[in-house]
Amino acid sequence: MAGLELKAIQKSYGAVEVIKGVNLEISHGEFVVFVGPSGCGKSTLLRMIAGLEDISAGELWIAGKKCNHVEPRDRGIAMVFQSYALYPHMTVYENFGFGLKLAKTPKDVRDRKIRDAARILQMEHLLDRKPSQLSGGQRQRVAIGRAIVRQPEVFLFDEPLSNLDAALRVDMRMELANLHRDLGSTMIYVTHDQVEAMTLADKIVVLNGGVVQQVGSPIELYQRPENLFVAGFIGSPKMNFTEVTIDSINGGQVTVSGADIQPTELSADTTGLGEGDTVTLGTRPHDLLADASGNISGHVSLVERLGNETNVSLKLRSGATWLVVLDGDRELRHGQELQLGIEDQKAMIFDAAGQARHMA
Amino acid sequence: MSLIRRHWLSVVAILVSFVVFVIPFIFIVLTAMKDKRQSALLDFSWPEKFQLWENIVDVITTRNWQLLTAFINSTILTVASVTLLVVFAAMVGFVLQRRRTRWNGLINFLILAGLMIPPAIVPTIWLLQAMGLFAKLHGLILIEVAYHLPFSILLYRAFIATIPKDLDEAAIIDGARPLDVFFRIIMPLLWPVTVTNIVVQSVTIFNDFTNPLYYLPGRGNETVQLTLYNFQSQFNTSYHLLFTNILLITIPPLIVFLFFNRQIVAGVTAGAVKG
Ligand SMILES: Nc1ncnc2c1ncn2[C@@H]1O[C@H](COP(=O)(O)OP(=O)(O)O)[C@@H](O)[C@H]1O
Ligand SMILES: [Mg+2]
Repeated sequence: MAGLELKAIQKSYGAVEVIKGVNLEISHGEFVVFVGPSGCGKSTLLRMIAGLEDISAGELWIAGKKCNHVEPRDRGIAMVFQSYALYPHMTVYENFGFGLKLAKTPKDVRDRKIRDAARILQMEHLLDRKPSQLSGGQRQRVAIGRAIVRQPEVFLFDEPLSNLDAALRVDMRMELANLHRDLGSTMIYVTHDQVEAMTLADKIVVLNGGVVQQVGSPIELYQRPENLFVAGFIGSPKMNFTEVTIDSINGGQVTVSGADIQPTELSADTTGLGEGDTVTLGTRPHDLLADASGNISGHVSLVERLGNETNVSLKLRSGATWLVVLDGDRELRHGQELQLGIEDQKAMIFDAAGQARHMA
Repeated sequence: MSLIRRHWLSVVAILVSFVVFVIPFIFIVLTAMKDKRQSALLDFSWPEKFQLWENIVDVITTRNWQLLTAFINSTILTVASVTLLVVFAAMVGFVLQRRRTRWNGLINFLILAGLMIPPAIVPTIWLLQAMGLFAKLHGLILIEVAYHLPFSILLYRAFIATIPKDLDEAAIIDGARPLDVFFRIIMPLLWPVTVTNIVVQSVTIFNDFTNPLYYLPGRGNETVQLTLYNFQSQFNTSYHLLFTNILLITIPPLIVFLFFNRQIVAGVTAGAVKG
């Protein structure tokens, strides 16, 4: 069984620390997505797992074997690159078979495996083409096929879909999900696109500045983000934030108010909080609703009517702009005043350190 | 009028290359056909008597078939030197481009130095003598490789920089060892530069006059360019034989060039449309 374990993995380039101690456990067959803004070290982490970068400190275990100094070819991994990295002078068939050829696999076995992979990816008719004669989506498939042929325990993907156009990206995303279901291998997938992360992952690892922010299932991250960064990063459209002060605490209930919001009662973990503390309130655009007696008011600055829902940019009193998604079609004018309420207390409180205060 | 205006540059180019390349060649061919008396005039005239075949036989059999020995020597020299050059230059270029170490600056300096500093003949001869390589064909091969290596390395390194590093890494993941990466992935993609390199270096080395003159003296060691001496002397030069000799030793480079010329063009355009 090919689980992975990362123990306090670090990476520095000279004096610059890029990965600052990552601990992670990945069990066999999981689809894990590393997500985070550009430059946060996702690729570096993946490349360390692949064996393309040295590990500065910490331990990497793959399938119960310490792999810090194991050659990439002996790690039981395959990798799909963002640029596809197809060998331009080889046909699709040869691209698929290159790894097997190097491993001195007998010709008939090789041929069978190549044709199997081509069948899975529905590209049997393209086997004689050179990469330059393929479209972007087909090249992507070749890159995946090259990984499949090797029958690795762990697939590594580095932003594999970012060079495709939007429609194709959605298709390929589904294909990858199917592939994972069919092959049942462990997959580690790097992306900066949180929608890809939400749709594909069994488990998401949110990275920022070389530090793991949170690990969890997509819904966990959406519903119970551990800190401001995760709350802002996961979910589309983004969560709205505003600064508030605590007026009163009553058991698991706090009442907060601020420049943008009338006194509002929320449930939160109040340990260590006191009256008068400044905290950050966050609420998702979908959790706001138009309510004439609501606690939040602002002026409409932009309206997008999509028919089934209406996206409104609301300029609040403090000058912050919130995005609100209202059900159904609404006729709203620019500059019009709008009162909003928070649905079912669906708002979160983040303390001064940026940690979320969810009810236990 | 507009035809002239549009094409005058091409016409000028054709005229210039005709004067520079074709007229001298015609002169060589004509003189090679003449007899000794007429050729001594060194003029651009029609041969009175055609004796190309006699001249060829004369040239080849001179000094106990020396020209054949020279052809064999030059061919060995060229093939061996160019092979070593291509392999070493591509390997050095690959490592220099791909692996960043603190030695890179020094190595680059040495390469540039090799390109710029004129070779010192006498110390080189001492060194060759000390190593027992002086007046040996393999010694000269090493000399030719050394003198032409810097330029080839620069050529390869620049081209390797255009090959994405992802390709190397994909191959490594696929299980390729360093030599596999080089010979199965990088080298095939270098084919356009390799062809250019082969053509340029083999013509240069085949036609080299000075290095064989300095480093490969002795009987049986002649290279083709040195055979030209057979027909010149202070008092008496057989121009008809000299030019026949020139004609004969111009043919192999010409064949190399014609053979690879199409490949050069094909290689360049393949790179251009690959996208
Ligand atoms: N070879 C290198 N030398 C120095 N810094 C590097 C090197 N490679 C990457 N970095 C730095 O490491 C950080 C993480 O890079 P990367 O893992 O590629 O980010 P991403 O999350 O966008 O994939 C970046 O800030 C980048 O500048
Ligand atoms: Mg990246």
